[in-house]
This record gives sequence, C-alpha cells and structure tokens, in this order.
Amino acid sequence: MNCVELQHSLAEVEDASTAEQRAHLRTCPSCAALVKELNLIASAAGDLREADEPSPRVWNNIEATLREEGLIRPAPRHIPSSFGARWGTFGWLVPAAAMLLLSFGIYLHQQSTKPTNIIARQAPTYAPNVATADLNDEELLQEIADNSPAMKTQFEENLRQVNESIRDTQGWVRESPNDAEARHSLMDAYQQKSMLFEMAMDHTLP
Amino acid sequence: MTEPRQQSAKEFNEAEAIERAKHGDAHAFQALYDKHKRRVYSLCLRMTANTAEAEDLAQEAFLQLYRKIATFRGESAFSTWLHRLSVNVVLMHLRKKSLPVVSLEETTQSTEDESPKKDFGAKDVMLAGSIDRMHLRRAVDSLPPGYKMIFVLHDVEGYEHNEIAKIVGCSIGNSKSQLHKARMKLRDLLKADRAVKAGRSKAG
Repeated sequence: MNCVELQHSLAEVEDASTAEQRAHLRTCPSCAALVKELNLIASAAGDLREADEPSPRVWNNIEATLREEGLIRPAPRHIPSSFGARWGTFGWLVPAAAMLLLSFGIYLHQQSTKPTNIIARQAPTYAPNVATADLNDEELLQEIADNSPAMKTQFEENLRQVNESIRDTQGWVRESPNDAEARHSLMDAYQQKSMLFEMAMDHTLP
Repeated sequence: MTEPRQQSAKEFNEAEAIERAKHGDAHAFQALYDKHKRRVYSLCLRMTANTAEAEDLAQEAFLQLYRKIATFRGESAFSTWLHRLSVNVVLMHLRKKSLPVVSLEETTQSTEDESPKKDFGAKDVMLAGSIDRMHLRRAVDSLPPGYKMIFVLHDVEGYEHNEIAKIVGCSIGNSKSQLHKARMKLRDLLKADRAVKAGRSKAG
C-alpha cells in the first residue's frame, strides 16, 4: 500500500486498523501524522455539540401555531382524584347510579320544598344534556354552606373543575363536531357534574 | 401553556407520547419537543452558525413533524424521522439562501483538486496537541454544506454511518466518503489558519 492508497482507504476504514494500513503507517511518518491529525479533528468535533437549548420562544411559537391549526386539542379535565379513590374499580357504575340518585334526589328535594305540588307533578326524569351545565351552582353552594359548611370549600373546587371541564369539552365539540371522542368526553363531563350534584344533595337533604 | 414545564415533560415514554400527540395532547407534543430539542437545535446551529436562524429552523422542523405525526407508523425510529425532517429543512433553507449547496453525488465525485495529495509529507504546519474549539468551529462553518452536514451528524452529533444514510438519504459508503473528505478539508483549513498565525507571530 502506498500513500495515495492509504488516503483512499481511510474513507472506508477511518481508524486505519487494517493490517495493510498499519503496515504502511509503520514505515511512513507522513501518513502516520495525517491519521493522527484526522483523529484529532474527529475527537475535537465533539466539543462543538451545542450544550445550549433553543430559547423558550421556539416552543411558544410551536405551541401557538399548533393551536391555531387545531392540532392541539383541549385535554378533558379529570375529575378530582379523591373521586376515583372513592369509587374504586366500580367507577363505571358511577354515572348510571348518579343519574338515578340525582333524579331521586331532585324529586325528594321538590317534595320537601313544595309539598302542595306533589300530587300534580310527576318525578322528573334526568338525562345528561347541555342544560345540566346550567343548573344553578350558586343555590346549591348556598345549600351546602347552610347544611354542611365543612364541605363547601372542597365542593366549590370540585364544581369549578367540572365546569371548566365542560367548557373545554364544549369547545372541543364545537371545533370538531364529528369527533366521537370529543362528544364522549363532553358526556363524561356532564355525568361528572351530575354525580357532583348527587353527592352534594346527599349531604344537604334533611 | 399555563402549567410548569417540568410537569409537561412528565414521564411519558416516547411511544406513549407519540400516540397522545396523534390525539392532540399538548403535553405529549411538549414532551417530544423537550426530549429532542437540543439535538435538533444543535444540528441547525452548526449548519447555519446563527442562533436566530437555527431557532427558526428548529421550530419549522418540529412543526413539520407535528403536522405529519398522525402518519407516523413506527417503521423507523422516531428520532431518525425527526432528524431526516430537520436535515431537509436545513438544506431547503440553505438552497433558498442561494448558498452553493453541494449535492451528495457531486461531493463524492473525485476531482483533481480533491485527489490525495502526494506532498503532505512536506514541511508544513502540524496540527499537534489540541485543536482550538473556536478555530475548529470557524473551519466547520466554512465547509461546503454537503460535507458539513455529514461531518456535523457524525463527528459532532455522534450518529453512525448507517443512521446518517437513513437521515440524509444516501448510501453508507457515500456517508463515509464525505466524512473523510470533510475531515481532510478541515485539516487543510486548520493548517492554513495556523500557518497564518505563525506568519503573524514571526512578523511581530
């Protein structure tokens, strides 16, 4: 192997580790110096890796653009974790039970506040729909404050989160009306609110 | 985003983050960004030598990635896909700037000028000891983009030739060949730099 052949061979075997390359390098100080210098360049190159990261404006711009383009969707907010712990593995029963209990609760509540109308009215049936989000939160909070003041703060926070979740998912459904996941999330949010009302009434009814 | 960044980069594994990002989860997008931003930015910065341009290019690379993420099926590594996109964004940018971008094919064709020099044993400046980071950076910046891309990916960012071949879309042999030529070119540039410096100190 001569000097020219060695240079060509370095493209394929850059560390000059073949027997032929090593034999040439033993007898040729110039090529040995060349290999040493190329190795020096390669090892010094690692220092050029940038330790810095892009400024926060990069992510901010990316996120803003993704939102504009509808690629980021509002994440449905989860019900407070204490709820999950409370209902455990039977969580799937919660919405159904909540609806039944809420219907019954509203019925009892009406009986206690308007006894003269009992005969004339039938118990209302409840189905989760957009109107659920419009139930009078303030009145219910007031009832809780009157009957179970210790629960008020926690209930207020839970109610705020559930309402926020409903607003988010309503926005998601408006943006993507054909998105089954969006509609499902909205129904979940309504069910969470109905469950919250049921729990509140459970504590406030005499 | 209103939540702290640490929380956004929570413990997603990459596959989970990709799936969530496909469903529009902002946290997943950010987790992927946080994981890969340094490497993408570093590549862009070394190729452009300009922080503002590098940030713009990194931003564009991630946006292109996120727009296409629904089509990612996992046939190749996610990072390879991302870096291929980044390389394309950088090369496109350089073309738009009308810089003399050397194509991969062009750079692998031997020319008389690039043929192995037979006089490298002459009494010239030796690159003994260490190479100054600033000088090396300047030399890298002056490489033709074709050489520079391979050199940055291999020697700076630490990719293997088989990865570079996938990222850049060339053969492994092509990647090796360009890397060798890039190093030889850098050696010439660094030696010339040292020779100038030596001449100055003699004159002084």
